Amino acid sequence: MQNNVLEVKNLTKKFGNFTAVDNISFSLKEGEILGLLGPNGAGKTTTIQMLLGVLTPTSGDIKYFDKKLTENREEILEQVNFSSSYTNFPWSLTVKEVLTFISYLYSINERKKRLDKIVEMFKLDSLLRKQIHELSSGQLTKVNLAKAFINFPKVLLLDEPTASLDPDVAKYIRDFLLNQQKEFKVSIILTSHNMAEVEEVSDRVIFINNGKIIADDIPKNLAKSIKTSHVDLLINDGFKKTIELCKEMHVSYKIQGRHIIVDVKEKSIPEFLRDLTNNKIYYDEISIEKPTLEDYFLYIANKTRL
Amino acid sequence: MKLHRIYAIILRFMYLFRHSLDRLSDAFYWPTLDLLLWGVTSTYFRSYLPQTSQIVLVILGGILLWIIVWRGQYEITIGILEDLWNRNLVNIFVTPLKFSEWITSLVMLGIIKAIMSFSFGLFVAFILYKINIFTLGFYLIPFALLLIITGWWIGFFIAGLILRYGIKIQQLAWTAPWVISPFSAIYYPVSSLPDWAQAIALFIPTSYVFEGAREVIEKGTLDPNKLYISLLLNSTYIILSLIFLKKSFDKVLERGLVKL
Repeated sequence: MQNNVLEVKNLTKKFGNFTAVDNISFSLKEGEILGLLGPNGAGKTTTIQMLLGVLTPTSGDIKYFDKKLTENREEILEQVNFSSSYTNFPWSLTVKEVLTFISYLYSINERKKRLDKIVEMFKLDSLLRKQIHELSSGQLTKVNLAKAFINFPKVLLLDEPTASLDPDVAKYIRDFLLNQQKEFKVSIILTSHNMAEVEEVSDRVIFINNGKIIADDIPKNLAKSIKTSHVDLLINDGFKKTIELCKEMHVSYKIQGRHIIVDVKEKSIPEFLRDLTNNKIYYDEISIEKPTLEDYFLYIANKTRL
Repeated sequence: MKLHRIYAIILRFMYLFRHSLDRLSDAFYWPTLDLLLWGVTSTYFRSYLPQTSQIVLVILGGILLWIIVWRGQYEITIGILEDLWNRNLVNIFVTPLKFSEWITSLVMLGIIKAIMSFSFGLFVAFILYKINIFTLGFYLIPFALLLIITGWWIGFFIAGLILRYGIKIQQLAWTAPWVISPFSAIYYPVSSLPDWAQAIALFIPTSYVFEGAREVIEKGTLDPNKLYISLLLNSTYIILSLIFLKKSFDKVLERGLVKL
């Protein structure tokens, strides 16, 4: 059985009368990647800040490796790191200077060797002499991630780890994270707006809304809880009739050129396709997309807005 | 306390020092300009009032000693502001760095920069006006210590205010030490102040140092009570300012470092 590296119990944060995080409890296992999702303002960032000790909880307990964060901050933070898009580095320092001074904040053996390895792992050679303000947002994200690995962390908190990265670099980072998980049993909590990414890398997903955990499951199960599939049709004849049929059946649809994408409950798909035939609607192509984590996210986000 | 973490913060600011024209001009340009301006002015006074033979040493000595107060305070408050401007506080406090180590680093930076600026000022004053502050002899050591402690408690107090109220009050970083300067009697005796200001000067530790420095220059002696009173006041203020700064930091953690 895997050990819990992080345990959060009844964590609450209130700002005056507003409750940003409301009595949440969860754990993170050794080598597990946990996606922390929720609409803007749901309480994700507040939770991460409390987990890092840069925000004092109103109540509740945070334990890493069976030790309370408040009482063992120094020892715990030696083994934890984070990367986020809402912080920055001293803008006039070079990448090399930033990584060097941050490396001295941790007890690292063979510091120089570790820095060289980090540069190699994140392909930072060409950026080392650049000042932070000269970097593109994608390059900055890369430096942020490199910084997060500097101390051989056992637990990593990543807020939007691939934000602003080119698709190929984002893919490289995702593979890198999965590799670190496998090879060194690094446990990771990540937030991302890229649902496909969360689905791809997370072993488990926690969904937060209005400061409360509303779901805690594997991504597949969360997606499954949405019973609607997307039926994508390239209509040959009967475009208007299809729209009328959708209205009659009270199903939502989206038009994209000659395509019409209809949201149909999984069990009603055969009936829908039969109705198309009965109405003499002909299509050249059809694809059925199963619900994804993104659908779950949109469902929750829409519910919140309502 | 871990030395490598203190070194990390010092290293971060020394890198910045290398890249920043602002910080370089703070360290060298302004002290030089002050020395030039007041050197010429005091030399002119001396030529008209021969009985004030020590006036150049008194004024330029005052400027040089004030550099120590200013650098001690400035490194603490500007250090905190730099991390606020760069949104870097979260980056350093998600590491094992302790609050006490952070403050120690800024204090040590104050010492390093004070030595740099003071030495440079000494050199400029000697080259331009043949002024040698070492005429104060060994008294220079307690004077310098007392002055830098004053710089620290002003710095801690302003840093605490900046942490509480944010960068909207950042102007205090540059202006705050000057609030006590009129009562410090840098260039003139306390007795030349109006009565109400003399009463305030009694509670300003730097006034005893500058009075003492003039006494040494003029009479070659020093009443040790001046040093004791200054030390007592400084000790009180530094304890109070540290408590205030720690409480301000704890208050910030309740709101979240990210929101600063």
